[in-house]
Amino acid sequence: MALETATPPATDPAPAPARRRRTRVSGKGRAWDAIFAGLARGSTVLTLLILAALVAVLFESAVPSIRENGAKFLVSSEWRPNEREVQKRDAAGHLVMEDGEVATETLPAEFGALPVIWGTAASSLLALLFAVPIGFGAALFLVRICKPRLGGPLSFLIEFLAAVPSIAYGMWGLMVLAPLLQDHIEPFLRSVLDVPGLHWLFHETIQVGGESITRVLPLSGRDMLCGGLVLGIMILPIVTAISRDVLRAVPREQIEGSLALGATWWQSSWAMLRYSRAGLLGAVLLGLARAAGETMAVTMVIGNNNQIKASIFAPAQTMSSLLANEFAEATTELHRAALIEIALVLLLMSLAFNISARMLVTGGATKSGGRR
Amino acid sequence: MSAPEKAGRKARPRRTSSRVLSTTLKYLCSASAFLISGILLAVIGYFVSIGGSAINWQLFSELPQARGMEGYPGGMLNAILGTCVLLVLASVVGIPVGILTGIFLSEYGSESRIAAPARFVCDVLAGVPSIVVGILGYELLVVPIGHYNGYAGAFALAIVMIPIVARSTEEMLRLVPNTIREASIALGATRAHTIMKVVLPAATGGVVTGVMLAMARVASETAPLLFTALGSRLLTLDPSQPLPSLTVHIFNQATGPYREEQTQAWAGMLILILLVFVLNLAVRFSLRKSTLKLG
Repeated sequence: MALETATPPATDPAPAPARRRRTRVSGKGRAWDAIFAGLARGSTVLTLLILAALVAVLFESAVPSIRENGAKFLVSSEWRPNEREVQKRDAAGHLVMEDGEVATETLPAEFGALPVIWGTAASSLLALLFAVPIGFGAALFLVRICKPRLGGPLSFLIEFLAAVPSIAYGMWGLMVLAPLLQDHIEPFLRSVLDVPGLHWLFHETIQVGGESITRVLPLSGRDMLCGGLVLGIMILPIVTAISRDVLRAVPREQIEGSLALGATWWQSSWAMLRYSRAGLLGAVLLGLARAAGETMAVTMVIGNNNQIKASIFAPAQTMSSLLANEFAEATTELHRAALIEIALVLLLMSLAFNISARMLVTGGATKSGGRR
Repeated sequence: MSAPEKAGRKARPRRTSSRVLSTTLKYLCSASAFLISGILLAVIGYFVSIGGSAINWQLFSELPQARGMEGYPGGMLNAILGTCVLLVLASVVGIPVGILTGIFLSEYGSESRIAAPARFVCDVLAGVPSIVVGILGYELLVVPIGHYNGYAGAFALAIVMIPIVARSTEEMLRLVPNTIREASIALGATRAHTIMKVVLPAATGGVVTGVMLAMARVASETAPLLFTALGSRLLTLDPSQPLPSLTVHIFNQATGPYREEQTQAWAGMLILILLVFVLNLAVRFSLRKSTLKLG
């Protein structure tokens, strides 16, 4: 079974008779043998420690923020790293006058991660929406339709697409896709879709001088849609490659059986997809994990706005892009701790996605390896 | 209900509509495969057409110049050298640890309880967002030292590298037939001797290409370097100071306001993409050769 992610077979290639032979070799050779085994074991332990260190160090550095913000961190939608002076208003929205001057009040710094959690979730889902149908389709093409002579180079292309540096996609998104969206695609979509019921897609309500006014959303091209599309392009290779491997592991009898029963091409393909649904879900989750953790490309195209906007044509911010934008410039300890808490949330999220995906892909592979 | 039964039951009427649907979806699947190729060509095409004309010798031989100075925008010599320094430092740690871990997983794995978790952790580590790894580097090596430095960047890159090298080494060693190991042991060699002199040499091609792929991956990483090596416009090879790198340099140029620098960023990126392409191609051919040799 040519499945990279599958756990290796239980039989280990390490030869058993090694220990019995040891009596014949010299003391020096035996010492080196022990040292070598120790080095290999030490490296493996080190690898295990890296993950532990990641979680522990991030948690420890995030403690000031966890203590200060508590659970509010995950539900507040206000991200205000520095305290800000604003004009004081009464309940009716009128300015409050004190001694003939407009009174001001100071809002304390506040750290709410909801906008970036939303941004990560929404952009990753958009990416999946784009990448999953195309990825599955291409995987079916590679497994069932194309000849090996075409499939080889095509597989190579897809693997190469996965290896292209992420800032390359970011640059392409910033300089090619974003202007295209801004000048052509988004105005076109607005002219077509701006119908009653969808006005929220193209209008936003903002606060000006205590009043809320509704205005047409400025189309910038650097928005949630662009971020989602670029992410979608970036996760296409991994979704395609893994679902190709998963579909390849479907036993031939399954396909032949359904064809013998008179199924059309699509019906037998559907049977394949159903058969390997656990592995395919794993492919989707791995894509999701990749999309949620991707940093540079998203930072370049998503617009970097720490607010929750309903429209996909509005700029947004993801967890990783917030880190890339603010971490180096964070001056207060609390700001830095809050950013590290975001990194911790991101880490735990990606661990959850990765672990469940690995289990699904390998579990699905063993299942389809044996007859049902 | 098992899948084929269902498909069979559905298929029985076999109306024209289901055949039309099937054909349509078949074409859609082919279309999506070609869409992927199209996207790749669109992306690479832009880099070649814009960056290609901006590649010149100056790029490799000169330092970046400030706007308004003679010779603006200069080159990216410092960034190229900085990436080399980071890559060497990361490899010095990452390659031995990665290869030894791979050896352990493949050769000693069956006798150890930590092998299965370690294999899993390697897979999971490879999926950890690299910016999070950058923050680990910041906390462990930037905060104690007091300023951004190249060691922290190399440390973060090494962490990105280790799981990739470990897993590819393990897979390559598993391709070596067991009979070769048994022959060596039967001749009285120790296990260490068997691994170093027999198993590793048999898998050298695969292991080396895995290492090269990991280096290419690390050379194209940006996020872990943002808060560790930071970047610099100076020519420096001293890793205790902020170090420039090709990716961070390109990122700053691409997001900057000046057209000359943006054009240069395309050129720099094209060089990086070509490097990745050549390495991938090398891997493809060497893998084919080594599996033939072993098979």
